[in-house]
Amino acid sequence: MPHMNSQIIQDSLATDQAASTVSTAFDSLWAGGDIPTQSLSRMEQVMLADDKIFVVLAVVLIIWAGIVVLLLRNDKRLRDVERSVEERIPDPEDEL
Amino acid sequence: MAEPVVNLKRYLLTRNLIIGWVTCVLLAAFLLNIPKINILEHTARNLYFHVPMWFTMMAAVFVSAYHSFKVLKTGDLVEDIRALQAARVGAFFGVLGLLTGIVWSKFTWYVGTDIWWNMDPRQYMVSLQLLIYGAYFVLRSALDDPRKRSRIAAVYNLFAATTTPFLLYVIPRQMESLHPGAEGNPAFSEITDPLMRLVFYPAIIGFIGIFWIVYTQRVRISLLKYRVTQDSEM
Repeated sequence: MPHMNSQIIQDSLATDQAASTVSTAFDSLWAGGDIPTQSLSRMEQVMLADDKIFVVLAVVLIIWAGIVVLLLRNDKRLRDVERSVEERIPDPEDEL
Repeated sequence: MAEPVVNLKRYLLTRNLIIGWVTCVLLAAFLLNIPKINILEHTARNLYFHVPMWFTMMAAVFVSAYHSFKVLKTGDLVEDIRALQAARVGAFFGVLGLLTGIVWSKFTWYVGTDIWWNMDPRQYMVSLQLLIYGAYFVLRSALDDPRKRSRIAAVYNLFAATTTPFLLYVIPRQMESLHPGAEGNPAFSEITDPLMRLVFYPAIIGFIGIFWIVYTQRVRISLLKYRVTQDSEM
């Protein structure tokens, strides 16, 4: 699994750097130092193409999925309340 | 039992169609290549999102005015509920349009300045428009008798709807503006790539669909509120 490999490489590198410098392992990863640049995975190749526009698409789709779930759940709750109100409260005399 | 106000079966079918439609629009909005233009670059894609907010508000204004007209014709209070909820959701889309326009212009034409709000006629006219609708909501809250309120609000709402096309479309075109079609600017049809129109028009339909879902939900809630509390205002 390429992902696990890269994790191991990064971890070992972080440990090396932590030993040789004062900065923490966490810092060294973000300092843009000698992070091993293995060739991009297939997924990364797709996501980084065209100025990374696909990353924005992924974010927007996640938000849209969330909004859709919200709308559907609202409809379900609304239906439940409509049913219980229809059972308990008779039609108002003054027809709306 | 009388005919239900909202036909649930038809509502659910249309709702699912709209959700699928908008998902396709979102995919197309990001996946289709667009011409790279100076200043705009990828923000040209905002055409698919910012502009439909205004079309949606305009559609909401029509729906609201139509139901206000029916209030005056029939005196049906359900029409009053529909007019109010269409206006509320429409105003919400108007606010979204203003906010997205502010962000868009700040990072394109106003880069390097501190300008967030400029003397753009459309910004001002639309703010005025939202204030006119704000007055509609305030007017309603000032009247207690539902029948009287439905009629007075309907008359005011028809006035508010009549001002909308002038404030949104007529006046801004006579003045200098960032927007296409304004004084000295080329019209939308002259500067927009055909491929972008392929996404733009479906996006308008999609956002009007989202308006319709939320509006219908709110009408149902309002009807419930009436049944429980004898007062439909919300």
